[in-house]
Amino acid sequence: MITLDPKIPPGPLETKWERRRFTEKLVSPGNKRRIKIIVVGTGLAGASAASTLGQLGYQVECFCFQDSPRRAHSIAAQGGINAAKNYQDDGDSVARLFYDTIKGGDFRSREANVYRLAQVSTQIIDQCVALGVPFAREYGGQLANRSFGGVQVARTFYCRGQTGQQLLLGAYSALCWQVERGQVTMRPRTEMLDLVVIDGHARGIVVRDLVTGRITAHMAHAVVLATGGYGNVYYRSTNASSCNVTATYRAWKQGAAFANPCFTQIHPTAIPPAETHQAKLTLMSESLRNDGRLWVPSAPADRRLPEEIPLSERDYFLERRYPRFGNLVPRDVASRAVKAMCDEGRGVGPGGHGVYLDFADVIERHGVDVVRERYGNLFEMYQRITGEDAYRVPMRIYPAPHYTMGGLWVDYNLMSTIPGLFVIGEANFADHGANRLGASSLMQGLADGYFILPYTIGHYLASAKATLVGEEHRASRAAVERVTGLVATLLRANGRRTAASFHREVGKILWDHCGMARSKAGLTGALKAIPALREEFWRDVAVPGSGETFNQELEYAGRVADFLEFAELLCHDALHREESCGAHFREEYQTADGEPQRDDERFAHVAAWEYRQDDSPLLHKEPLAFEFVQPTTRSYQ
Amino acid sequence: MKLTLKIWRQQGPHDNGRLVSYETDEVSPDMSFLEMLDGVNQRLILKGEEPVAFEHDCREGICGSCSLVINGVPHGPERGMAACQLYMRRFSAGDVITIEPWRARAFPIIKDLVVDRSALDRLMQAGGYISINTGGAVDGNVLLIGKEQAETAMDAASCIGCGACVAACKNASATLFVAAKVSHLGTLPQGKPERARRVAAMMEAMDREGFGACGNQYECEAVCPKRISTRFIAMLNREYLRAGFVASGSPAEPDSSQAGPD
Amino acid sequence: MRRSNQFQTSLSSKVAVALSGLGLAGFVSFHMLGNLQVFEGPAALNGYAAFLREMPIVLWSARLGLLTVAVAHIALGIRLALQNRRARPVAYAVREYRVASMASRTMALTGSLLLLFIVFHILHLTVGLGDPSVHDQLDERGHRDVYGKVIQAFHNPFYVALYCAGQLVLGMHLSHAVSGSLQTLGVEHAALIRLFRAAGPAVALFVVMGNLAIIFAVFLGLVRP
Ligand SMILES: Cc1cc2nc3c(=O)[nH]c(=O)nc-3n(C[C@H](O)[C@H](O)[C@H](O)COP(=O)(O)OP(=O)(O)OC[C@H]3O[C@@H](n4cnc5c(N)ncnc54)[C@H](O)[C@@H]3O)c2cc1C
Ligand code: HEM
Ligand code: SF4
Ligand code: FES
Repeated sequence: MITLDPKIPPGPLETKWERRRFTEKLVSPGNKRRIKIIVVGTGLAGASAASTLGQLGYQVECFCFQDSPRRAHSIAAQGGINAAKNYQDDGDSVARLFYDTIKGGDFRSREANVYRLAQVSTQIIDQCVALGVPFAREYGGQLANRSFGGVQVARTFYCRGQTGQQLLLGAYSALCWQVERGQVTMRPRTEMLDLVVIDGHARGIVVRDLVTGRITAHMAHAVVLATGGYGNVYYRSTNASSCNVTATYRAWKQGAAFANPCFTQIHPTAIPPAETHQAKLTLMSESLRNDGRLWVPSAPADRRLPEEIPLSERDYFLERRYPRFGNLVPRDVASRAVKAMCDEGRGVGPGGHGVYLDFADVIERHGVDVVRERYGNLFEMYQRITGEDAYRVPMRIYPAPHYTMGGLWVDYNLMSTIPGLFVIGEANFADHGANRLGASSLMQGLADGYFILPYTIGHYLASAKATLVGEEHRASRAAVERVTGLVATLLRANGRRTAASFHREVGKILWDHCGMARSKAGLTGALKAIPALREEFWRDVAVPGSGETFNQELEYAGRVADFLEFAELLCHDALHREESCGAHFREEYQTADGEPQRDDERFAHVAAWEYRQDDSPLLHKEPLAFEFVQPTTRSYQ
Repeated sequence: MKLTLKIWRQQGPHDNGRLVSYETDEVSPDMSFLEMLDGVNQRLILKGEEPVAFEHDCREGICGSCSLVINGVPHGPERGMAACQLYMRRFSAGDVITIEPWRARAFPIIKDLVVDRSALDRLMQAGGYISINTGGAVDGNVLLIGKEQAETAMDAASCIGCGACVAACKNASATLFVAAKVSHLGTLPQGKPERARRVAAMMEAMDREGFGACGNQYECEAVCPKRISTRFIAMLNREYLRAGFVASGSPAEPDSSQAGPD
Repeated sequence: MRRSNQFQTSLSSKVAVALSGLGLAGFVSFHMLGNLQVFEGPAALNGYAAFLREMPIVLWSARLGLLTVAVAHIALGIRLALQNRRARPVAYAVREYRVASMASRTMALTGSLLLLFIVFHILHLTVGLGDPSVHDQLDERGHRDVYGKVIQAFHNPFYVALYCAGQLVLGMHLSHAVSGSLQTLGVEHAALIRLFRAAGPAVALFVVMGNLAIIFAVFLGLVRP
């Protein structure tokens, strides 16, 4: 039985973290050398954690499935990273960043965690600068900021449109140093496929070498998962094609609680899919909504070209529904509105999956050069992908799954319900509640990896006093067998459908019933459809080749198999949460004019699910107490 | 649109490879090049054949995974783009497209179009970092870095580590890759203390890994998806000469944590 | 970071090749300028040759220096070329170059041909092998008649063709080499990049044109015995 003890230190918000750091036990330097830690993942969270742990003197073994740690999905983040530096003197502070994040998350996150995140945010920037991250600068040499994601202060630090890349390369270079020093052993092209739990503690992982196909156990004193988000469960998303849920899902099956899986963020401005087989969706910067106006034809199934539709027959739906914020409403609100239009049959472009994002007005007002200066690179990217010139015809955009707030449940120390298993970055259920603000995920990943985990893991290691278990231990042999069996089953199926076709299908089920809008009927239907599809998968999937070689299709099929199970968990969670909050919108719980209705009486809790072998997952609740902020209604009308 | 693909197929590192022809007619101009390959693979799987192994991840030109030599040019016919950013409207019906892996001694082939680029990681491990401990960094604004300097560093830092420069170079040299890192870190004040050792260590590593030397032909810059300038190679050369003249290396660092008390 | 004081890398070889190459380029330029004295008649050219021979120590140390530079250049150049060849054991089936010039891709070939040409040239005009008839003649002032040798050689279409080929190869080698060595030595500036990239072809053109002028002036009878 799982118990959820968030282990939040007592006392005032401002000193909780300091207190925890003081009361924690430390590992002596001599002992650190004998302690081995496994870090799975080399994104911002994993790379920063592995390098810092290596620097502290632990023996670190670090895994990723890409060919190089530098290619983790964090590399693709564009916009920037928040920090409460208040360099602009515009009224920012730790308290304000804290409040913005709590409110942005629609009051579904832990106050203590979020406050700590805001506190360490300032250190992150300093650390990154020291590592040589070339942040944008003013002429005078100071760090530059932009405002991002609809907050009222400019606190976002950035490196052109490649912030994630530069932050990751910074962490990666720190990792390189530790590899050179012999503190970190890097194992790229190695996929974690199971967790080894011994006497209730996480003691190792089972991995498959993606080149040779060898399946082996790797043992350690503690395991850190930094394996990113599961947005790809929707098949189409803005995530990199290899992002998946396997690591966290298999840890779940070994007893780690999974928290709030239904909190998934759908980003409004992605380029609509042109092809049925297209999986990857490309994100367009949110900033486009500063000047572009969203509209659809007033009449459904209007197939005229945009320029043929007179003003009177256009519906600028965001401006109509949200006169105060207009086109600048938050991500979740915009996405839902776009979906509503398309559901009414008023979508444009192939399959009616899209709405116009029109720049005609701003071009007329300021001239094409101003627009080119502001968004030139985005227009270029749009043209490359769609072949259309957005200076002349309106862009088309469509929402896309983008980020997952849900993840493995962790306490204040970032430890899951399995002692010794720590979870950081997007993989944990994190600090973003029911919705994440722009530029705060990079912040969280680095906060966890550089500044929080390296402290808190020491406390566990100093108290647990575990010895290193050998690979021959019963539990690890059993885990290796589980994985070997699974791989063999996949190869044996020898069916007639590709893994991608199943992935597409489960993605569609989720998108339709557990995407931007959810309903009891839809979710119950999905909960019937998914197991049926899963059965078909095991009967009819085709995985060519062998398990003893480099076999990308085998890797993919294994990930799809987990998505097919995980999708169910997602629906269970969405079904249980009978309220609308943040990115989770239940059609039954809305106001007369279609605004979400949160229910703090019944749902001010974290939903943490426990795996049960032959039964539906078991719900545990961690109540959320708001001592320092008062939950309010988010209204953008 | 109907196309003929000639794709390099190779079972494993020690097998012989060859170009195999595939006809494909389910290609629409709106597909990306990689989606076109996805389609080919889906059909191969349904026929019970092994799909073509190729590397991809972000599919938006930033992770550096994709690595295809398309008709003799790394990343294909568009300039300043990775292969994943290439769309089929660039081709016409009836075209014959040859697809090969990166070819270099330092990049052994793993399978089909997938090569092992860990040599680039080892170049980075040799010196592509600033050795600074986590924690205790001074405030980010203490170091004033002029905008131009920051932009130059960013130009160099935008390298995605794809290795197209190696693939394109007649000598399979990784000089542009190394130059990008050395210039990025060498331009910033934070990177200056270690600049001499960094450049020497990275150049030594480049030889050790079996890359060739720069031939000053600039083919790398012409295929680089981030258009990293070969001016950074000149900068690298200056750093190297400077390192040779000025610093015969700073005194060897006693690695305190490794020699720590037990 | 590994400590490294060795600087025994390919880049060091490249720097040495570039420096020695620039030295050689300097030599061929002055060599050409000196030879232009053909146009001033036998007295000037033979006098120049005699002037050189009057200082045997200087001449021989120059020759020795030149030889050392050349040997270093050739040895390191060939070593680099071999190392570069090893770096790509399997060639592409289809290969297309965007900017790499023909000259840049054939440095080892043109270098080797140049070596052959230089050996031949020395044997031919300095030592006088191959065409012994022109050896050891003296002009009216008692100087060795270099002028006469040149005139005689370039009346022969066979030698003209051979020397033209040599110049072509020299031109190609130089056109990439000089700009390349500036880059190798880190000589670069945003505003001057065009100038530096044009330097190689300019020097090549200068040297080759000068030499060809001599050859054709003789062949076409503009310069007479
Ligand atoms: C297009 C895009 C733009 C974004 N822009 C921003 C932005 O501007 N600002 C912002 O704050 N956030 C942004 N985000 C979100 C942010 O990028 C991610 O949330 C964050 O980078 C996640 O980092 P991570 O370290 O947790 O995981 P990741 O970077 O996803 O890394 C996961 C790592 O785990 C490894 N891994 C996973 N599973 C396994 C396994 N089974 N075995 C072995 N290894 C495994 C992978 O190899 C990888 O190394 C953006 C996201 C997208 C998609
Ligand atoms: C008059 C004679 C010569 C001159 C003026 C000359 C000049 C130069 C110069 C300046 C370079 C430097 C290019 C750079 O740094 O990129 C160079 C490169 C080179 N030279 Fe010569 N050279 C001459 C003869 C030769 C000979 C005889 C050989 C060999 C047999 C040779 C082989 C090479 C090679 C292989 C390179 C390329 C080295 C590399 O890979 O960068 N050269 N030459
Ligand atoms: S320099 Fe350019 S081509 Fe070379 S690895 Fe970096 S991005 Fe790729
Ligand atoms: S797939 Fe990431 S750069 Fe091409």
